[in-house]
Amino acid sequence: MSTSSEVTERSKPESNVIIPLWKQRIRIFLHNKLAVASVLFLLCIIIICFLGPLLYHTNQTDQNLALGNPWNQAPSARHWLGTDSNGFDVLGRIFYGGEYSLTLGILAGFITIIFGTIYGMVAGFFGGIVDTVLMRILDALLSIPYIFLLITMVTLFSRSTLFLILIIGLTGWWGNARIIRGDALLIRKLEYSQASSAMGASKLHIIFRHVYPNSISNIVTVATFSVADAILYLSALGFLGLGIQPPQTDWGTMLQNGANQITNGYWWEIYPLAIIFVLVVVSINYVGDALRDVFEVRLLER
Amino acid sequence: MLAYVIRRLIQSFFVLLIVLLVTFTLPYFEPGGILAPAYIVLGTHANKATIAQWGIQNGMNHPYFIRFWSYLTQVFFHFNLGHSYKQNMSVWEIISLYIPRTIWLALTALLLTIFIAVPLGMVQAARRNTTFDYAATGTAFILYAIPSFLLCMLMLQTFSFGIFHLPAQPPSGVSPWAMFTDPVPFVLPVACLTLLGVAGISRFMRGTVLEVLVQDYVRTAKAKGCSNRQVLFRHAFRNALGPIVTILGLSIPALFGGALIIESVFNYSGLGIQTVNAAQLLDVPTVLGITLLVSILTLFGNLIADIMLGIVNPRVRVESSSS
Repeated sequence: MSTSSEVTERSKPESNVIIPLWKQRIRIFLHNKLAVASVLFLLCIIIICFLGPLLYHTNQTDQNLALGNPWNQAPSARHWLGTDSNGFDVLGRIFYGGEYSLTLGILAGFITIIFGTIYGMVAGFFGGIVDTVLMRILDALLSIPYIFLLITMVTLFSRSTLFLILIIGLTGWWGNARIIRGDALLIRKLEYSQASSAMGASKLHIIFRHVYPNSISNIVTVATFSVADAILYLSALGFLGLGIQPPQTDWGTMLQNGANQITNGYWWEIYPLAIIFVLVVVSINYVGDALRDVFEVRLLER
Repeated sequence: MLAYVIRRLIQSFFVLLIVLLVTFTLPYFEPGGILAPAYIVLGTHANKATIAQWGIQNGMNHPYFIRFWSYLTQVFFHFNLGHSYKQNMSVWEIISLYIPRTIWLALTALLLTIFIAVPLGMVQAARRNTTFDYAATGTAFILYAIPSFLLCMLMLQTFSFGIFHLPAQPPSGVSPWAMFTDPVPFVLPVACLTLLGVAGISRFMRGTVLEVLVQDYVRTAKAKGCSNRQVLFRHAFRNALGPIVTILGLSIPALFGGALIIESVFNYSGLGIQTVNAAQLLDVPTVLGITLLVSILTLFGNLIADIMLGIVNPRVRVESSSS
């Protein structure tokens, strides 16, 4: 008797007011302090990169190599983070490179997730011979070390910004497809999909009504990690001198330029950017981890 | 077991065919198509008739599948990975000297990764949620987020210019055994590649062992009086071996990718540096040839991993033969 009254008492506020799903999800996300801090940090960086140049005017197009001109200069009131080996203001350059790195990473990440989701869903849902063929093709593509493939593409085609987005976007989804295919394969066999199928639902209906909503947690998580990966791969290409070409720049190219100056003691050319870069990637990964929890159905309604 | 190995071999062969198809087909999409090299050989102002003539001389006018067949036979029976028109040498001639150096770099780092990451992950799992575990997980998380080239640069700065004064770059001679006769200059590149591997694999090992530790047979083992050490080594370790071998096999492409970056940082003359040089020259056949070669090495590594998996995990052999 006492236990049942306890139960009703405890479940009362929840049974009266049904909290919408999205509110519950936001609540779970806000519960994770580290993830909230990461999101705020990322937003700050994006806003600063795009709006900073409006307040902090620098010349990022003309190199300044004439004798007596300020290159490799220590931080001062005029150049808050000093200047680099080409005479560019480092802080302004961080904004400028950040615009390219972040835009490219986000766009490429989104392209990878679209392709990965479609491919993975088709393979996982239809199963059988379709799955086998699609997965063997994926095995083959995944056995080409990715950075070698990127270099091949960049050599074969162009190194324009648009093209870099396209190649990272169109070649980065193979791992994602595999994860999402595993999900689709699992969900297809679960009772609700089977029941839906028995009641005469079309394959398309099951994909959109059951498979897609139930694998959304993995899709969102994988999408977040793809953005981090795209930024890292772009920086690797930049380091090899095969990424975004001058006069444009990205964080990878800047880090490489800075690292060349490290032995001269010009710390301002590398450490501020290195810290920002690593924090951005770590934040994206934290957000991905938190999003996985948000979409985890078992954590809802607690 | 033999049937399992043969099935894996046939599978790898088909995967290799697809890789070959990719590396063969990509030049068709090059601006200028497969006749693009003609402009390198004959100059940019060569007229159309001369270009067509050159195409016929080099068999470019044959249908797609006939060209693909000759490409296959050349790769399989003559180790001919193509001809570099920019450097006027065969691709094999350009890269053959560097293959052993890259393989030794990757292999040494892989072995060291296994010997460090597997015990590290097990200790982390056994002492989970202790300061040591948090420290190791945090370090791995940061190492995972640092671009590999930056990590190498910082290592170089610290251990070559700061303390220890290790040599900043290995000798550029192409002797394949240099790593074992004169190991000191190779310490930094190998250590960096190992560090990159350990960051990923120790985390995976920790997760796998944790999963095994909550299984019923582990509880039974504890109940019948096994010590923690016995549980860890007899039960957890042996059951975690399967996933570890799988993940090691899957990490081989990343290993070669890491090797490429490390070769560039430390000026270690190997396949990676040759790729970057060829890319800067816009030398398409060399880049494609190296990519193909590295993919073949990866497939070979995956095959070995699969066979090892069959040895350490008998379930795999039985399951895959029944399906």
